[in-house]
Amino acid sequence: MTSAVLKRVARRETHSPRTIATVVVLALVALAAIYAGVEIVLHLLGAGPLLVAPGAALMWLQEPPDQYQSLVVAGALLSVVAGMVLAWLALSPGRRPKHELGSSSYAVIVDNGVIASAVAERVRRELDLSKGAVVVSVGHRSADITVRPEPGQPIDRRQVRTVAESELTGYELSPRVKVRARVLRAADMEGMS
Amino acid sequence: MNATNRGVNRAILFTVGVLLIGVGGATVIAMLWPVAGDLWKSWLSAGVDWMVSADQAFRVSEATTVSWFTLAVLTLLVLVVVVAVIVIARLGGGRSSVVIREERGTGAQGSVTILHGFAADAITQSLASQEEILSSKVNARRLGGADVLHVSVTPRQNVSPVDVAETVTGLVDRLATLLGREISTVVTIHSGIRSRLAADQSRVN
Repeated sequence: MTSAVLKRVARRETHSPRTIATVVVLALVALAAIYAGVEIVLHLLGAGPLLVAPGAALMWLQEPPDQYQSLVVAGALLSVVAGMVLAWLALSPGRRPKHELGSSSYAVIVDNGVIASAVAERVRRELDLSKGAVVVSVGHRSADITVRPEPGQPIDRRQVRTVAESELTGYELSPRVKVRARVLRAADMEGMS
Repeated sequence: MNATNRGVNRAILFTVGVLLIGVGGATVIAMLWPVAGDLWKSWLSAGVDWMVSADQAFRVSEATTVSWFTLAVLTLLVLVVVVAVIVIARLGGGRSSVVIREERGTGAQGSVTILHGFAADAITQSLASQEEILSSKVNARRLGGADVLHVSVTPRQNVSPVDVAETVTGLVDRLATLLGREISTVVTIHSGIRSRLAADQSRVN
């Protein structure tokens, strides 16, 4: 990773652009504006309103009819929740499940799934486990490794961790990933199944 | 990856979100707390009175009920719609057909342009012969005035991403040597259903 352009590209690849939410919000805002405009024009032309005339709507806002009060409160609460969701979308980083590989002069972005399957394969081969005995899930800052050894096969948690860490160190991921290993014993499995 | 202006996206989401919180919160407080409710009503009626007086004061002519005030409101609404359409239309983009461009005078040979198709053919052809890579796609992007080559690959499952990255960057390095120019490149390595189906057969059982 050398140039500023590649840094920018890497950031764009690992973070969501929030395009879908923006398109939905803009479409709804545009529809609301078009509807309000249509009602105003109909009112000016002297035609009947589609739903409610502008004057009546203003009066209604001023003094909502009693029978609709709970409905109005519910709608307002809903709008508060929707607003909070939008504000959260605007302010949260919106990370995608991807990591950046550090060991290259170019920008290399890897899906977490690729990292997980490669780590699982390495652990499985190194510790001589059967296929499907290692489950790895990679999150933003952590990798959870669950190992199910055959009955009688001695596997230590630290062993698993060392192997996984040595594999992940080679990747030079950014952000860095912490390894959490778990070994399910035969007795645990009996309890589970 | 595209040239979407993400700051604009987030600014829009934030503005609309804050408006919704403000209006919704004010309504809830006004409905549930009588003091605020009275305040709300007095403000609203003052607002409505102002609008009615503005409507009457700025009539276009004596003969109609159309006022400049209504026209201003309509213009504002049209403006909102136009801005929304413009923002949606400007999303995406940034696709480029050029990998390297050099103006006349900067290089020894005069102006040089390497088109995306050349690099794409070279790289996808080479990657097609690789065992561990299932599919690859090459795009050129223009971002902030710089041309960027984007190589996205889907490797077989269980293949180390470092090996895949080395394969791809090695190819790009050789292409760069051939062309005598550095190519800013981003490599994305994807997992997908196809990679899971084509998983390596287990050799340790």
